[in-house]
Amino acid sequence: MRSRFLGPLFVAPAMALILLLLMMPAAYGFYYSLFRIRFLQMTEFIGFGNYQRLFSDPDLVPIVLRTLVFTASTVTLTLVVAMLLALWIDRQTGFLAFSAQIVVILPWVISAVVAALLFRWVFVSEIGIGRYLFSLVGVHFDPLSSATSAMILLIIVSAWRTVGYGLVLLLAGLKGIPTEYFEAARVDGASGVQIFRFITLPMLKTPLLIATVVLTLSYINNVETPLVTTAGGPGQATNILPLDLYSRAFAQYDFATAIPLAICMFVGNILLVLGYVRLVGWRA
Amino acid sequence: MPDRPRLGTARWIALIFFLVLTAISVAPLVWGFLTSLKTPQDLLTYPPQLFGYELTLQHYQRLVDSGFIQALRVSALYAAATVVLGLVLGSVAAYGFDRYEFRFKRFFFLLVVSSIPLSIGAAALVIPNYLYLTTLGLTNSWYTLPIVYTAYNLPMAIWIIKGSIEGIPRELDEAALLDGASPLGVLWRIVIPLCRPALGAAGMFLFIGAWNNFVSSSVMVDSGHLRPVQVAIYQYIGYFGREWGPLTASASVAIIPIIIVFAFLGRFLVSGLSQGAVKG
Repeated sequence: MRSRFLGPLFVAPAMALILLLLMMPAAYGFYYSLFRIRFLQMTEFIGFGNYQRLFSDPDLVPIVLRTLVFTASTVTLTLVVAMLLALWIDRQTGFLAFSAQIVVILPWVISAVVAALLFRWVFVSEIGIGRYLFSLVGVHFDPLSSATSAMILLIIVSAWRTVGYGLVLLLAGLKGIPTEYFEAARVDGASGVQIFRFITLPMLKTPLLIATVVLTLSYINNVETPLVTTAGGPGQATNILPLDLYSRAFAQYDFATAIPLAICMFVGNILLVLGYVRLVGWRA
Repeated sequence: MPDRPRLGTARWIALIFFLVLTAISVAPLVWGFLTSLKTPQDLLTYPPQLFGYELTLQHYQRLVDSGFIQALRVSALYAAATVVLGLVLGSVAAYGFDRYEFRFKRFFFLLVVSSIPLSIGAAALVIPNYLYLTTLGLTNSWYTLPIVYTAYNLPMAIWIIKGSIEGIPRELDEAALLDGASPLGVLWRIVIPLCRPALGAAGMFLFIGAWNNFVSSSVMVDSGHLRPVQVAIYQYIGYFGREWGPLTASASVAIIPIIIVFAFLGRFLVSGLSQGAVKG
């Protein structure tokens, strides 16, 4: 009798906190989004009126497209670099292999505000050392002078922060591939490229997909990096979804479109979360 | 380095590659720190100087004068509260999930697992959370941010600790229960001491999550004395403008606790992360 209630009792406080602060607000936000909003107060019920206003905003489509370009480029860059590093570290032993992982993951534990601030100092400021180093090799790199270079800087900062995360996941995956597979392939005379293409890559499918889902989630929700590195500029060039959402609500106080946008993004996040749950193959 | 008398060519190349990797990872941090020690005149020198300038702590003094200490103190308290609350709730819940059977257990655990990536969704969560906590009257209080931080990082803590409890033989706690120990006594005296590495990893995630949070922190509290360190740094960008001395000084100070925790617990972080990758 006693132990029947103990399990739920132990789990209850943590579950309450998770439900009340991660799940409930979204439901409440959805309810809120169906009302006309004045000075943060709900007034009359207007159904999907706020959503209509949001979707008729001519800025929205360019922002979404920009976010897609940014996310796809950053995920690709992160995973390509992480894969090359993982293949390299996998061949190293002892101190070097371990330290390399630790060093590469360091940018991931630094706050995004600090990382973005430092990149801004190095590359955006007129007297930054990054711009000086580029000028030494004859490249004029002034990130805020063009839309493309601003976006490139944003992608570099984001990838710099997350390569370590991708690396840890891929390396764990590499360690899990039985060595007999590689030996058999080598006996059959497969080249290095063939081994990578037909053994390593397929065997790393799950960690690659997990990393893709988690990285996508983190890029489309990271406000700090665009906010601090470029502040969305020049013009709208780096104004991507998370920044747009944040400034709609807390700089322009346009909650009438910010709330439905947040709900739409939440639904997008849920889809990615479902993908993640399938991939990690959770078990109770 | 391992004490080998001679390094082969391959080993040398590997070592050089490792140094390049290290440089790319830490260069912005080191450069920020060097900048924070320069006088305002040396700061404006172009091309920038790596060596040969006068060192000064004046930018740090300006931070102290503009209330940075209060932000650091508040962040430290928030982070400590988050770690304690997260580890207590997390280990009790993980124990309940692993050692007891109850209705809807699989469903609740599925919610925990999905909350790990869900809580990365800061931008989408912050507006609903802000409306919700405002309606409940829970914003702008000393407890607001620790509770939010704990909720965001608790799912990961439960996942890591449960992974470790799974490995402890059930016979151990059953024997203790037969000897008359209470369930919580078993958790405290037998289970907890055996999963210290997992607690270290979970504690580290909780600490980093709390210390580095910006988005929620910037909107959930208004009062200056409740403002944590990341928000203070962001506000300095508007306040100091192009004065990079105090800006890089604030960034350097904010990194120190993370580096210290990372130095001691970094290897747990790596194992905690790879746990997610190899399942399935």
